[in-house]
Amino acid sequence: MRYISYILALLGGAALSFEGAIYGELGKTIGKLETSFYNFFVGSIILGLLWLFFGKGKLSYAVKAPKWTLLGGVLGVVYLTSIVISVPFVGVGITMVAVIIGQLVMSMVIEHYGWLGSKRSRINKEKILAVISMIIALVLVY
Amino acid sequence: MGILMILFTFLGGITLSAQSAINGTFSRKAGTIETTLLTFLTGTMFLAIIILFLGNGNVLAILEVPKWQLSAVFLGVLFLLFIIAAVPKIGVIATNITVIIGQLVIGIVIDNFGWFNSLVIHLDMKRSFALLFMIIALYFIYKGNKRAREEIAA
Repeated sequence: MRYISYILALLGGAALSFEGAIYGELGKTIGKLETSFYNFFVGSIILGLLWLFFGKGKLSYAVKAPKWTLLGGVLGVVYLTSIVISVPFVGVGITMVAVIIGQLVMSMVIEHYGWLGSKRSRINKEKILAVISMIIALVLVY
Repeated sequence: MGILMILFTFLGGITLSAQSAINGTFSRKAGTIETTLLTFLTGTMFLAIIILFLGNGNVLAILEVPKWQLSAVFLGVLFLLFIIAAVPKIGVIATNITVIIGQLVIGIVIDNFGWFNSLVIHLDMKRSFALLFMIIALYFIYKGNKRAREEIAA
């Protein structure tokens, strides 16, 4: 069953690439920050509908959850803004490499210590090799 | 200036990892759809403020652009839903590596065919090797995760 989660994550990444390419075009007409705003705004509407019809969880948990667990939305915006600002200075290639390496290294650290409520999972040889292979792949792509 | 920008983007990547970890934690209590909705809602609020002060584009032009350019929002929604579903099952790093691989593979395909008015960059030797290394990375992360779990179970 774990395979399904890997496939979902792969599809998620694929969706992100299509999204990036399409929004690149939209950004030329309406502006970059405006494009992110459009994405979050209309996304909220779509999810509002999904939630009304299919939501089985507890949205009200947001009120009593520890406040730091509510930071997901802001962090997404910080990420997006950092990309929008840096691309004109260093180009898309270097920006993406820097983002991805930051993401990989941080994921490993977060999980190793079980920070932010994640399940603790030690860094091991295989994980380091996986990150090294990713860095090689990145350098080859750009 | 360049180095500073690279460091800044590196921080952007760090926030993205933190986001998937935090959302994974929240979703265990609140549910996948609920977590995604909350992320989008709070993101909208922050961006509304940012746009008010820093926006110099034209949101209203949205009515004039070709509709296919607007369809990407469904992809954005799917992406977050999938991530939030995967993190509690396979963990932060496996989810992130797998997402990045999906992203790079499709990126290479889009470049190769020049879809969506992108620059055409053909699949060459270098990029073929890159694909190979991604498959190796995927194999290692799967292995590494399995071993880490077994060690915890033992």
